Amino acid sequence: MDAVSILNYIIAFFSLFVVSVFLLLFLKYRNTYLQKPKQTGWKPLVSVIMPAYNEGVYIADSIKSVLASDYPKDKLDIIIVDDGSTDNTYEIAKTFEKENPVRVFKKENGGKGAALNFGIEKAKGELTATMDADSYLTKDTLKELIPYFTDLEVMAVTPAVKIKQTTSWISEFQRIEYLMILFSRKLLSFIDCVPVTPGPFSMFRTGVLTKVGGFDEHNLVEDQEIALRIQANNYKIKSSMSASVYTEPPSTMWDLLRQRVRWQRGGVRNYWKYRFLIKPEYGDFGVYFIPLNFATLTAFFVVLGLLLYSLLSTPYYVRYIWFDVFGLGMDLFTFVAGFVIITSLAFLYLSVKSFKNECIKLRYMITFIFFYWYLMVGYNVLFLIKELRKDSFSW
Amino acid sequence: MDRHVSVPLYVGAFFLSLAIFLIGIYIGSLIDQSNLDQISGDILVATEKVKSINLLLLAEGNSTSFCPVYLSEISSVESDVEKMGHKLTYLEEEKDIYDTELKKEYFILEAESYLLSKKAKTLCDDKSVLLLYFYSNTNCSICYDQGIDVLKARDNILTGEKFIKIYSFDGTIGSPVAEALMAEFNVTGYPTIIIDNVKYEGRLNTAEIYEIFQNHSNSQAN
Repeated sequence: MDAVSILNYIIAFFSLFVVSVFLLLFLKYRNTYLQKPKQTGWKPLVSVIMPAYNEGVYIADSIKSVLASDYPKDKLDIIIVDDGSTDNTYEIAKTFEKENPVRVFKKENGGKGAALNFGIEKAKGELTATMDADSYLTKDTLKELIPYFTDLEVMAVTPAVKIKQTTSWISEFQRIEYLMILFSRKLLSFIDCVPVTPGPFSMFRTGVLTKVGGFDEHNLVEDQEIALRIQANNYKIKSSMSASVYTEPPSTMWDLLRQRVRWQRGGVRNYWKYRFLIKPEYGDFGVYFIPLNFATLTAFFVVLGLLLYSLLSTPYYVRYIWFDVFGLGMDLFTFVAGFVIITSLAFLYLSVKSFKNECIKLRYMITFIFFYWYLMVGYNVLFLIKELRKDSFSW
Repeated sequence: MDRHVSVPLYVGAFFLSLAIFLIGIYIGSLIDQSNLDQISGDILVATEKVKSINLLLLAEGNSTSFCPVYLSEISSVESDVEKMGHKLTYLEEEKDIYDTELKKEYFILEAESYLLSKKAKTLCDDKSVLLLYFYSNTNCSICYDQGIDVLKARDNILTGEKFIKIYSFDGTIGSPVAEALMAEFNVTGYPTIIIDNVKYEGRLNTAEIYEIFQNHSNSQAN
């Protein structure tokens, strides 16, 4: 057996294993994954920190969505941190201060992490939520999230961050992707492996944020870094499927690629920074989840290499039997790939079905996997190029 | 919080993966066998076609009136035979699947096809160049590349009509037909190419084979 065959076998088995873990998790929790904690009537003071940099277009609607929450206004403490905007963000935010539990601060531009930390210093709530200035809550978001904190072990809760239905195919693909992420994150939460507290909206116990030292001010994906730090401190992060938050997605392919390259670069660096968690003491997070991220990235490049190799090493005579090769070439790997694709499609279907209000057109569902593969190739290749060139880190 | 490793989950996932993996291997082997059966069936069909052409030749003696039919039928059979050869090579090279008996059957069909073409060349004044290529899969490291060069040279010289016919034989699998042809042309080593009864021993690159083809075309035109 040659090296290429061995690599093929390893990748095939690895893919099956990852899919099987998710499959078994789903089977185990299929009847409970949509359950939410009981409402207890507990209504703590909630600080909502909204850092904003040149968000004049969106910020008013974002603030309005928090104020419209089905939650007592006197239990809300909305902190707007204008991070040195050069547009009218500050002026717009200021208009909400009168008659509303809104406090607006302006500071020199220092990045999102620094703005969040600035807000944490001002926070008075028992719970603190971080929120992007281009995200919107629904009436029930806070009400759905708060009951999770009645479990004293829970230190952070992530909502269901979604994208509103649009007519743009690029947004629709992101909508599907976000739903799949939510579904898989929910399954991962059952083994305490939630790796991110999403920037659009996440809720924390204020004490924990202070205790773990606040947000990393020099991180490309500070929302992931804080989650890893919470995990490193053995605090629990839960994931809600019913608390919806809507956010604005990148609207062009180039913006989407840039966002993903940033996530990937920041993400890989964060996992590398927290590689010390790869120990049985950190349970599934240390033994399975962190290694899984390194293995997945490695596997992705190996698969890409194998595909390129198979394309470049296609024998000359195959040109005479192109169509027959589809039949002749079928083997274990075709079967495994088929199984992985069918399972992914089933997960895709379950992800969408888990959110009754989300309606996705069939054509987007069918083409999503192909789109996502090319997106992954794009951002991973760009990620690799940027890392090899040691490009500077910036938003 | 108390952390723990979900050992049953990973053990379950491992065995589930293993089960799917083994099912995949089993299904893969079924598909491979079905591919071989398909080629075997194709050989039978092509053999029947060859028999029909032979019957026609026997019935009509040396009459040239049926030449268009012969040439068209032979061309159709040879196109099928070449495809079968490539499929067998694909299974051998890419999937390590060898079926010596099937290969022998294939060589018989190829030899029959060669003899038919040879007959048609004389009887019907067919200008095709007949190329016999003797190789070995076991003791000839350059034979694979030589085979590809032969194909490339043939494809380079295509000028609207395919007139170079290639018949490849592995001389080391114990095929009586291959051995008989080797004896006829006194082939002792690999690779060896016979182009219209002229023997070329050792490796020839694409350009060299191409040049030989050109010379043949010119001499036939004259």
